[in-house]
Amino acid sequence: MLNYVWISLLLIGIFTAVGRDINDEVTNTYRNGVPLTSHFESHRKLAAVHPAIEGDIVIPAALFNQFYNISSAKADVRQPATMTTLSSGKQRLEIKISDASPVFWQEMAKAAGGKEKLEADINSFNDGKQEITFTLEKVRYVKIKAVTKAALDFADTAVTISLGLIGVMALWLGIMKVGEAAGLLEQLTKLMTPITRQLFPDVPPNHPAVAAMIMNIAANMFGLNNAATPMGLKAMEELNKLNPKAGTATNAMCTFLVVNTAGLTLIPATAIAIRAGLGSADPGMIIGTSIFGAGCATFGGLVAVKLLQRLPKYKKEMEVTETEEKNG
Amino acid sequence: MAEIFKSVVNLISAIAIPTFILVFLGWGLIKKVKVYEVFVEGAKDGFNTAVKIIPYLVAMLFAIGVFRASGAMDVVVALLSPVTNLIGMPADVLPLALLRPLSGSGSMGLMTELMKTNGPDSFIGVLASTMFGSSETTFYILAVYFGSVGIKNTRHALPAGLIADLFGMLGAVFIVRMLFSL
Repeated sequence: MLNYVWISLLLIGIFTAVGRDINDEVTNTYRNGVPLTSHFESHRKLAAVHPAIEGDIVIPAALFNQFYNISSAKADVRQPATMTTLSSGKQRLEIKISDASPVFWQEMAKAAGGKEKLEADINSFNDGKQEITFTLEKVRYVKIKAVTKAALDFADTAVTISLGLIGVMALWLGIMKVGEAAGLLEQLTKLMTPITRQLFPDVPPNHPAVAAMIMNIAANMFGLNNAATPMGLKAMEELNKLNPKAGTATNAMCTFLVVNTAGLTLIPATAIAIRAGLGSADPGMIIGTSIFGAGCATFGGLVAVKLLQRLPKYKKEMEVTETEEKNG
Repeated sequence: MAEIFKSVVNLISAIAIPTFILVFLGWGLIKKVKVYEVFVEGAKDGFNTAVKIIPYLVAMLFAIGVFRASGAMDVVVALLSPVTNLIGMPADVLPLALLRPLSGSGSMGLMTELMKTNGPDSFIGVLASTMFGSSETTFYILAVYFGSVGIKNTRHALPAGLIADLFGMLGAVFIVRMLFSL
């Protein structure tokens, strides 16, 4: 299934991007080449050699929305801008784009090259009436560019995340190894046998995988993400030692993964912190609801994993053929 | 009651790691394990494991990145919103429900956005933060956990993981609607 989901994400992504860009081009969403007239409040003249004027462009919200055929601009648009005259005599307008700018312009600036400005040719400027007419630089292939950037950026992110794990991984694997050598993991495992035998019938009750899984689940419960991942990976490594077919997930591995993806935690710390930051009267009120939600996820996931593993399709994938046995 | 629960859990979270280190290494010492040598021996695997994950995580994250950047999510939301309206899930939180299994940072951003626009204590705000806390980033966990041991055929793990996410989202909608007596 992962094969299909993976390729679907890519194909849907690329085709949607192409489709949207064609649509933008046909309907001229970004009003490429269409002049826009606005008020220009100049602050002061800058250099004398290359006359530059700093000021603010002011466009009423209604006009801005009408021009772009949108409804997202709520307040009047007021943007700092600089007017320059090039040596060729052409006049250029540079509009500074910040977080306070209309979202539509922010997107356009991003599409124009990730800069924090939009550039325009000035069609006419009336100093007395403080009225300016300008044509913004062309914005094209927005989604295709975004998709390209995302593909490259996320490949980079993946490596950063993986390498970022090295330190905590080493720390916890080291501690676990000591626990293993001291026989502590076995002790821990014995305590939990009644539960783990139900969940992971294929795993011998005193196997080190059980201890690692228990510690992973406990760390998740207490929101110790830094400790949970290394222990989870240790558990996977131990479970893989019981795997008759390298490269294929066993029933126990799938069950363990589902417990992790359901993410049962006693204190959803991230969400609480963000709620507190946004001035909630009771940031912790979601503790109960989140435990309920994640409890539903854990229950639903476990039922699903136990039912799905009985399907002939998945059973067959686990069968070891004779040639594989010889090679393995 | 909720306060006591919260402070107990916070206390345990705070002391868990030091206690853990102390018990494990202390036990090792009692059992006459050469703690330093064994620790280093185990820690050696940290690097290998992290490096083994890279190809799996690159494959996963870049596909998710392409999907998100294309704006395809808007299309999926438009298709699904009639169904979710029926079960009382507001259309505003649907993108969050869909993004939750795909991207941790992305769904965190969406949750923050929803709480900013609607207020953290509004129905949508509470629902958004509950949904965020009711599940984990399934695709990321799948890539990391299975990648670390070279699992390529994930069998029924993904469908089961996504069913778990679905249950989590439905559970969140159910309990928050009860809370607001809707």
